[in-house]
Amino acid sequence: MSAGLSRTGRSLILLAPLLVFLIGFFVWPLFSMMSQSVSDTAVLRLLPRSAEVLPGWDRKSRPTMPMQTALMEDLKAVDDDQALGDMVRRLNSARSGFRTLMSKTTSALGDPANPPADLVSIDKRWEKPEFWLAIADALSPLTDRNLLAAVDLGRNAAGDIEHLPADQSVNRVILVRTFWIAALVTFACACIGFPYAMIAASLHGWKRDLMLAAVLLPLWTSLLVRTAAWFILLQERGLINDLLQTLGLIDGPLPLIFNRTGVIIAMTHVLLPFMVLPIYSVLITIPKNLMPAAASLGAHPLRAFMRVLLPLSFRGVASGSLLVFISAIGYYITPALIGGPGDQMISSIIAFYATGSANWGMAGALGVVLLVATLLLYSVYARLSAEEPGRR
Amino acid sequence: MAEFIRFDRITKFYGPLCVVENLDLGIAKGEFVSLLGPSGSGKTTLLMMLAGFEQPTSGNILLDGTAINAVPTHKRDMGVVFQSYALFPHMSVGENVAFPLQMRGLGKAEIAERVARALDMVQLSALAERRPSQLSGGQQQRVALSRALVFEPRVVLMDEPLGALDKQLREQMQLDIRDLHRRLGLTIVFVTHDQSEALTMSDRVAVFNKGKIEQIGTPRQVYDEPATRFVAEFIGETNLVEGVVEAVEGAEANVRLTSGAQIVSAVSGTVAPGQTVYLSIRPERVDLTEIRGDARNCLETEVTDSVYQGDHLRVQLQNAAHPLIAKLGRRSREFPPGTKVYAAFSAGDCRVIVP
Amino acid sequence: MPMKLTKFTFASLTILFLVAPLIAILPLAFTSSVILTYPIPSWSLRWFEELFFADAWRRAIVNSLIIGTGTTLLATVLGTAASLGLRNRLIFFRGTIRTLFLLPMVVPAVVLGVGMQVLLAGFGLTNSYAGVIIAHTVVAVPFVVVSVTGALAGIDERVELAAQSLGASPTAVFRRVTLPLAMPGVASGAVLAFATSLDEVVLTLFVAGPNQRTLARQMFSSIRENISPAIAAAAFLFIAATIIIGLVVVLSRSMLAKRR
Repeated sequence: MSAGLSRTGRSLILLAPLLVFLIGFFVWPLFSMMSQSVSDTAVLRLLPRSAEVLPGWDRKSRPTMPMQTALMEDLKAVDDDQALGDMVRRLNSARSGFRTLMSKTTSALGDPANPPADLVSIDKRWEKPEFWLAIADALSPLTDRNLLAAVDLGRNAAGDIEHLPADQSVNRVILVRTFWIAALVTFACACIGFPYAMIAASLHGWKRDLMLAAVLLPLWTSLLVRTAAWFILLQERGLINDLLQTLGLIDGPLPLIFNRTGVIIAMTHVLLPFMVLPIYSVLITIPKNLMPAAASLGAHPLRAFMRVLLPLSFRGVASGSLLVFISAIGYYITPALIGGPGDQMISSIIAFYATGSANWGMAGALGVVLLVATLLLYSVYARLSAEEPGRR
Repeated sequence: MAEFIRFDRITKFYGPLCVVENLDLGIAKGEFVSLLGPSGSGKTTLLMMLAGFEQPTSGNILLDGTAINAVPTHKRDMGVVFQSYALFPHMSVGENVAFPLQMRGLGKAEIAERVARALDMVQLSALAERRPSQLSGGQQQRVALSRALVFEPRVVLMDEPLGALDKQLREQMQLDIRDLHRRLGLTIVFVTHDQSEALTMSDRVAVFNKGKIEQIGTPRQVYDEPATRFVAEFIGETNLVEGVVEAVEGAEANVRLTSGAQIVSAVSGTVAPGQTVYLSIRPERVDLTEIRGDARNCLETEVTDSVYQGDHLRVQLQNAAHPLIAKLGRRSREFPPGTKVYAAFSAGDCRVIVP
Repeated sequence: MPMKLTKFTFASLTILFLVAPLIAILPLAFTSSVILTYPIPSWSLRWFEELFFADAWRRAIVNSLIIGTGTTLLATVLGTAASLGLRNRLIFFRGTIRTLFLLPMVVPAVVLGVGMQVLLAGFGLTNSYAGVIIAHTVVAVPFVVVSVTGALAGIDERVELAAQSLGASPTAVFRRVTLPLAMPGVASGAVLAFATSLDEVVLTLFVAGPNQRTLARQMFSSIRENISPAIAAAAFLFIAATIIIGLVVVLSRSMLAKRR
């Protein structure tokens, strides 16, 4: 008994380092990204006194004196301009006019010669409940603002969820575009991959090896190299345009790069192996004599194909398609290098929010959307391949 | 003979499943004992517990009078031969055989000498440099054997070692192993589900069923004097006929069959008149005659089928109430279907089994 | 046989589609021109010179080697140990743990990158080699786990039992039997980990500073900003390395297969 226990102990000691490592550097980052998307401390961080007073307010009447004093104290205590800017931006997005109001207020508060008695004496707008309402709402440390905005929804003044105005509705367009491009690529891969896998499975010897090597070589080649290759091929004076012009098929160069065509071609090339290999691995397990058997039972070749081979290979096509689709929706490099501005997918937007505008909340929220979509699809894939007979 | 290995009230559970139940078994030094039984009968589990790969749920295993439950496998000094050979695929044949000696910290020269001797013993000296994957199944098994013997273990355990070989090779290896056993005076515990293998090789056979030993004895005992219906049916082929004991006289009993016929049969256990029992009659002990002879047991039957099987003639008979099978020597005459014959056998060729 | 001809044409065109782009880029590595187009005016090694001696490229190569080596070591050690631990069927949540180990392969790199940047910033590890190596190890470790688990699953457990019965202590069984038998899996896992690190761009964009710019990262910005035949030269090296790595993997697999 003790031997069994110590063996389990040994296994745990072996597992622990990677487990700790991945919890620390994989699960936790994803978790902190998610918490970024719902955290909203830009205002709370700077206005701790107001946060104590404002919950007692009835949200309708004129601001009371203690509220004004608390806010004045808070604003006087601010010494971090960047944090102040973050807060003003956050408040201005909830209620326009905050930017001017805040700059007027802070400069008045910063004048030691002439200390104001209350906020209303600085600017009449402080009398209006709307501005205080915006502050009160922004004081909550959690928000669904980013998550809603990720799918182009927002809350109106009454707190109900509604569609954002059209000029702010960019994310849904990009989400739809992401899934559309992924679907096109999956379709293209299936159209090429299925017959290819069938031909490979029907061959023997070096012919089959050649067909498989042609799939494995790109799979093993650096993604950047493949993207660079397509970049070179597709450019205006690239090999493809040159060739077509030399052959006299076209007069001027075709626009192949920085547009949707280029993205689809390059992504199909990159992801095709993920379609071919699962289908192939299913096809070779199908006994060779099934089609002749169907024929001997009187089935027309096309009918035999539809009734026998297609259902049997469905699993391969399904796992291949899921694999391609999952990879495609998360793609960043290929659209970034081959696509134009109209072909950027969700990953590019996340990268833009994160590195370009340091809007971690939006980056996180879109990341959550992509992560959830990916994990859902993956769980379907995992179930599919777990059921697959003859697999671990 | 002094007892060398003792299984003392061994019980083994896998979760709720009882695979070995309160089992006692003693094995003498130098003895060849086969554990025979169908798969799942607990014989391999018992061997694995002896080797230390498994721990009994309760009970003790004693080796030379000392309990070894707490001794880890690598200190038990037992050579194990597996059905799958379990050779180290990354080592040559010579390195495989040297492995146990290296583990015991022997000097290079001594290892080389003993490896050479061990390979010579199984006629594989020429293949010492080969990898196991380059050998045939029979050769691999001989490497496994010499690897298990080279360190002169106290006990040799074999788990269906010949199961993967073809019939001819298997029979040759059976004789080779038996020969090694005699020559080296080894104590061998041999697991098999092949009854003829067990009968060929062993000093004693322990017949396993459902985690228990049904019978233990010499090959002759378990074949000729099966103690239970399971043993009678598992070892060889037998005719089982139901009847009621009418009288018991010493080691013989009078049994009336349902057909009304009277049979005199040997008894090894205790039976009482009025008890329902089975009679086990081995087919090759049945003689067929066309006239009633002077045998003590004689049943009137009719031949329903007769099949020539090379070394014997297999005749199916129908008595008033029971089908019977007889195996006749090749010199016997043919009996066409429909022939009325008497099936005759002595009292000693018939055994009463209490169900 | 029109059917046969159709099949042949289709297969040939697809092979062309798969392989031609990779082949087409190779000769451009040896162009003397500054633009990446055919026909090549004359042959020259100037772009390899650029690759090895221009400051940006040379530093990128060195960085890739440093980060790749670090990632390979870390991922191989962590992944191999964990795979050994996963062999034990008595471990609770074994399936869940295994899934967790493989999940970094699935999660989109950008998503991981955002989280990683936030987290590493908290530790002060952004713009450091350690940070990049950690990030690369997260995505490289699943390859090691898959490879080593596969090799371990191929070991007949009875071989290890046999070693025990022949007098080998648990440590000796591991050292003399388990590890040598798992070695091809460990080796191909290490190769895959290195290749993953070498090719990783997205996480590098998020966590690396200008001093940790890797070869892949340098290629990315070079394609984006000012494409030159140095890209083709780098691609040439990558493809050559791929073929070598591919051969190593194939050889180690066939070694593994031969032993069965």
